[in-house]
Amino acid sequence: MKKMIATAFFVLLPLAAHAEYEQVNLTVFGMDCAPCAHAIHVSMKGIEGVNTVEVELNTGLVTIKLAPGNRASMKQFNQAVEKNGFTHKDAEVIVRGRLAGTANAPVLEVSGTSDRYALSPMVGSLDIVSLLGKTVTISGVIPQAPKGKVSDTLRYKTITEVR
Amino acid sequence: MKSLIALACAFALPGIALAADHGPVFSYATPVNSQRELSFDTGIFGRSGSNGAQLSTGSSIGYGLTPHITVNAFLPATFGSGSLQESRIVSGSEWTAGASWRFLHSVTSVGKRIESTASLGVVVPGPQRDSGVLGSLHRAPGIAGSLAAGLASRSKYLWIGGGYTRFAEASDDRRPDTLSWSGVYGYRPAKLRRGYNQWDYRGFAELTGEHTGSVLKSGMILQNSSTTTLWLGPSVLAIFKNIAISGGVQAPVFRDASESIYGREHLRFAINFSYLKYSSHTSSH
Repeated sequence: MKKMIATAFFVLLPLAAHAEYEQVNLTVFGMDCAPCAHAIHVSMKGIEGVNTVEVELNTGLVTIKLAPGNRASMKQFNQAVEKNGFTHKDAEVIVRGRLAGTANAPVLEVSGTSDRYALSPMVGSLDIVSLLGKTVTISGVIPQAPKGKVSDTLRYKTITEVR
Repeated sequence: MKSLIALACAFALPGIALAADHGPVFSYATPVNSQRELSFDTGIFGRSGSNGAQLSTGSSIGYGLTPHITVNAFLPATFGSGSLQESRIVSGSEWTAGASWRFLHSVTSVGKRIESTASLGVVVPGPQRDSGVLGSLHRAPGIAGSLAAGLASRSKYLWIGGGYTRFAEASDDRRPDTLSWSGVYGYRPAKLRRGYNQWDYRGFAELTGEHTGSVLKSGMILQNSSTTTLWLGPSVLAIFKNIAISGGVQAPVFRDASESIYGREHLRFAINFSYLKYSSHTSSH
């Protein structure tokens, strides 16, 4: 029994350690001046696990790169935008997590957070049956949600297994 | 003592004015603080006329309770002996405290916002007295409200606004009610639409106007003490990240004011320095 628990622990440990947002790109609406951008920069940098933040005022693009092992959640990124009086469009993300659910209704679970997304393909459909239960890296788009909410859908462009 | 109590009440009220800490220097504008943002402003405001000059310094502090509600307080100090008319556009000797609420906030595209902000606050006589006619009055607190609406973008700014201040009576004296309004157009040239790590400049053309009611002295209306003036002038704002410096001058374009009471005011100027302290706080998951 002890061996089983130990085995399960060592199998699950890497899954948790590798589940996280790696990069989040947000197009923020409403920033007109330097203090707006600075406010977003300060707020994003205040999220534990955020490595670098770049804010481009003319395009509104905010690029957030995160450290390995972080536990930052999508809700925190949204809050950082909303508390400064702005909104953001869809979020482009690169995220690692466990692929759960079924072949017809796959779900991405981002460990260390309560973030869980129903997956749908952006273009065509990939055969992801073989990836169920595995840790994957997904690049895709989380659609804009009403204020204070996080979308429960992730439209994926690519899914690759993490080996 | 009365002033102190009134000021304490004012701080406790969810009420006041001046919305902009990095906008135009004379006009009403819509920006409010971010949630948990602290803003510190300090400025010099000058008024020059045929009866002398008045120089005020003022410092204000603002705090963003929510992304759309900011509470603030303003403490001025005045110097000089210019016998000038009441003005709410250029700060005088009154302390103010209150809140601003950005009740309309539309952000539907990159770099652009359309918004409206209402402010309400309490105006309390400071320890210093004014000069001239206003200096001889017994003073009482008042209430100030304002409304501003407009557009902010990477290239253009346009705000219109108006405010009203009414003072209470004290020993049959009353400072004049003041109706103020403003329109401001701002422009940032294409070359200056740069990254936020560089200085950000923009210029404004500010048109402001004020109508002050009659002065009540010992229960009697002081004849010809009502005024209407219109002012126009440029201002410039420079920002680097969380530091802003702005300055502007205005000259009268219309004046209906008794020269025997107030003299002939011919110049207003303002220089303001702002420091914005943003909060990095976000909740955990």
